[in-house]
Amino acid sequence: MSPQLAGQIELLGQVLISGILLGGLYALIGLGMSLIMGVMKIINLAHGELMMVAMYMTYWAFTLWHVDPYVSLLIVCPLMFLLGVVIQKFLITPVMEAESILPQNQVLLTVGIGLVLANLALLLFTANYRSVPVSYASKTIYWDIKLGGQTISLSISYPFLTAFAIAVLLGTALFLFLGRTDTGRMIRATAQDKRAAALMGINTRKITYITFGIGAALVGAAGALLDPVYYLYPQIGGPFTNKAFVITILGGLGNIPGAVLGGLVLGLAESLGSVYISLGYKDAFGFIIFVLVLIFLPRGLLGKGRAQ
Amino acid sequence: MNRKTILVSAGLLLLAAFPLAVQNPYVLHLLIMTFLWVLLGQAWNLLGGFTGQISYGHAAFFGVGAYTTGILVKSGLSPATAWSGLLLGGLMAALIASVIGWICFRLRGPYFSLSVLALAEVLRLVAVNWKQLTNGAEGILYIPAFRSKAYYYWIILAIAALAFVVIRAVMRSKFGFYFLSIREDQDAAESLGVNTTRYKLYSLLISAFFTGVAGSFYMNYLGFIDPGIVFSISDISIMMILVTMLGGAATLAGPIVGAVLYILVSEFFRVWVKSGHLIFFGILIIFIIIFFPSGIVGTISQSRAGRKLRASAERKAAA
Amino acid sequence: MTTRRLFTLLAIGALCGLLVPAVPALAQVKTFTVGIPLPLTGAEAKFGEMEKQAYEMAVEEINVRGGVNGVKLALDIQDSGGKPETATAIVEKFITINKYPIVVGEYTSQCSYAVAGVCEKYNVPYLVVTGAADKITQQGWKNVFRLNPPASLYNLGVFSFFEQVAKPKTIAILYENTDFGNSTSKAMKDYCDSHGVQVVLSEGYQAGAVDFKPILQKVKSLRPDIIYMVSYLMDASLLMRQSKELDINPQAFIGGGAGHTLPEFLQNAAEASEYCMSATLWTPQVKYPGAKEFFDNFKKKFNKEADYHGAEAYAAAYVLADTLKRAKAATSDELRASLAATDTMTAFGPVKFVSWGQFSNQNKMDTLVLQVVNKKYETVWPAAASSAKFVYPVPRWRERK
Repeated sequence: MSPQLAGQIELLGQVLISGILLGGLYALIGLGMSLIMGVMKIINLAHGELMMVAMYMTYWAFTLWHVDPYVSLLIVCPLMFLLGVVIQKFLITPVMEAESILPQNQVLLTVGIGLVLANLALLLFTANYRSVPVSYASKTIYWDIKLGGQTISLSISYPFLTAFAIAVLLGTALFLFLGRTDTGRMIRATAQDKRAAALMGINTRKITYITFGIGAALVGAAGALLDPVYYLYPQIGGPFTNKAFVITILGGLGNIPGAVLGGLVLGLAESLGSVYISLGYKDAFGFIIFVLVLIFLPRGLLGKGRAQ
Repeated sequence: MNRKTILVSAGLLLLAAFPLAVQNPYVLHLLIMTFLWVLLGQAWNLLGGFTGQISYGHAAFFGVGAYTTGILVKSGLSPATAWSGLLLGGLMAALIASVIGWICFRLRGPYFSLSVLALAEVLRLVAVNWKQLTNGAEGILYIPAFRSKAYYYWIILAIAALAFVVIRAVMRSKFGFYFLSIREDQDAAESLGVNTTRYKLYSLLISAFFTGVAGSFYMNYLGFIDPGIVFSISDISIMMILVTMLGGAATLAGPIVGAVLYILVSEFFRVWVKSGHLIFFGILIIFIIIFFPSGIVGTISQSRAGRKLRASAERKAAA
Repeated sequence: MTTRRLFTLLAIGALCGLLVPAVPALAQVKTFTVGIPLPLTGAEAKFGEMEKQAYEMAVEEINVRGGVNGVKLALDIQDSGGKPETATAIVEKFITINKYPIVVGEYTSQCSYAVAGVCEKYNVPYLVVTGAADKITQQGWKNVFRLNPPASLYNLGVFSFFEQVAKPKTIAILYENTDFGNSTSKAMKDYCDSHGVQVVLSEGYQAGAVDFKPILQKVKSLRPDIIYMVSYLMDASLLMRQSKELDINPQAFIGGGAGHTLPEFLQNAAEASEYCMSATLWTPQVKYPGAKEFFDNFKKKFNKEADYHGAEAYAAAYVLADTLKRAKAATSDELRASLAATDTMTAFGPVKFVSWGQFSNQNKMDTLVLQVVNKKYETVWPAAASSAKFVYPVPRWRERK
């Protein structure tokens, strides 16, 4: 094998690894939004801001008490769950129940919440860029493969791998929760048909609190996992809200396995696209795939049947 | 002419005479921005409020309008061509809209909402990367034609008034009833023989046209655009929804109230509260949505419409 | 019905608009107020904040020493959110309502450019402090003066380093797709094209990406001598960290200023920042009078380190004081004339507005190259100004301790 070919294989391998690992994180961000979308039929435009809040929690836990970001998941997720419940109970539910011409005013409410959260963070923590300087931030596992007389050396980032593993764990836990527990089944029932669920005696109001709480906890977990490999500042939420958006659509709006697939597809599309097409258009690939999915698979990647 | 028409005309005349009395550029600037946002709110409202097709990406049409004019300016033609961009920008926006509408309106649900968002993002990236055409991230600068703000004031006031009149006329025509029927119950509309796909498209075309005109005016007036400004999700697309919904979606007056709130109140906060001014604005949004779920105009007119109506509706729903 | 209510509201709104600016422009006779738009919210807020603090510190110092000709300086700093639309509105208000005879500041190139257009329109002098895109001082505008060098000259120090030390054959360029990134990287590309350095890759990226590894892997496969990066913000540290992870070993990593010169870069990139070089306009080690004092006092006062953005703002306040001192009257015309005749020394370096080539009223200054040595920024080039010896080529990642 020629060195050039080996180089190309190495490039492709590295790009695939990066795409999948990043996709895992994206999936976690998308899962929360997808769940909320499925049950409440609203798009949570404060999703990225919730992640920002979790990132600051993790940051302060690390800075003040030297709590490792992965350990702080145990504190951050419950706190984010509570925050989600509070937002749903005191802000979103009253608006959902009020009569209005368009239901989209709930979406605007989340815009307002996002504005308040981001600017509160700006006021409290200043605009400084911060990072969680864990010792393993750029720790890397090298993996050398002998192939046809050439060495292909791949590298896997330790914090990205850990984040991916925890994302998989949390995703599995969510599936088990939704599939095996009563509350999980109630959430699914509410997502399918809210009125029917209410008629079956499900307290749908309580279910919406729990759903938003879980959504917030999931994106909170993503925030905590992102801290060691990324950085944070008050305005960080916006781009991630957009990503979550795309993932949710790719996955077929509220479809949970779809969101996982959507995250992976987005991660891979970004990394493959940036190398083989153009870095400048990297962020467009997700949208282009989305439009293609829309035209050819209107029910999302995992959807069955046709719309209408 | 009924009393209302006379009142509206008198109000418009008063507004038109305003720059004769007050020449302060800053005050005029705020009012120009308010009228611009009235126009944007009206445009979004026709599609979102009256027809029920929520768009999260109207910045796509705004940006196309702005860049149409920007590219005209950049090509070095006479300043008059910049103004021809008003019409051309609107038409370009409508053209792009017809493509996306043709793809998405066959489907129901949030697909349209989100594909316009995708469209806006893709167009933004095209504007950033296609440097020969758009100057890329550098943006396009143009020293505006008129020094006095009064001309811009009259132009945008006229356009906003025109949009108001057109949309009012549309909503009183056959089209308007079709639009409302699509929003209320698409199946029922279809079963009555309304070609919903086509009427949704009409609504979108009018809406995109006015949004494109607004974008083109923005370029003419402010004289500087770059992809991040005119294709912004948070500053254009979401704010168009905000302006409409705060004022009252599906009411003609709603976007006007919304634009006043958005431009004047947020400027008030920015100047007086200084640090953290956006928190106050965010709280204001939350407050309005909780206490005026149909927007200020919408909720007030709903409660005016009499408890009778609602009581009877409630009785029906309970039965 | 609702329409009438609406016009009432509109009228009230208009009134509010009238009342807002009804603040007296000059509270006291003996004060000179300067209007400064800055991004205090939004993505660039960090820099806006640093510049705000530097302006305030400088003005405080000037006023403690009795002000300028007995007149105290005051600042009217307003938040533009980094949006050209808001920045122009603020400046229009400064000029027409507050009647400030001069405008200073803004941060991004986009905002500075838009503000420059407004100032030119109203014939009010404008001192650009940070906006670096070349075109700002290439329009032949007589009211626009720029303290910082244009982006295309940020690399002058790097170029002389290339010619005298590095002599690279190949280079890969990664830049943020903004006005600043485009200008700076284009200058590098033009230099390389005309000096026989082969550009193996030149790609723009969107700021804020989480993972640069795919593109970095591509860079790795091209084996360039130099990897040159232009990053506004924290992308700089991600690029370095991920280069380390991928074990990319060029002769040197060189940044184009901004992101690679931030104190946060050292913290976030940690050991991955070691030996990274960057073009810069200023370091605390420069031998200009007051530079070190500025850095130390700033650190004492705000408990954080100032980078060249802070120095620019600090120097701008002194340039303004100098201009005011020499002006016959505090009018736009006199201040413009006085600004044009500026020839002063500041903590940021010598300031003199000259015109050459396409540039007009542009300060010309030497730019430096810094390198991270032992987790600290050291000035390494030009040799005369250096505080430490450069390390070139840099050791391979796996061979470092």
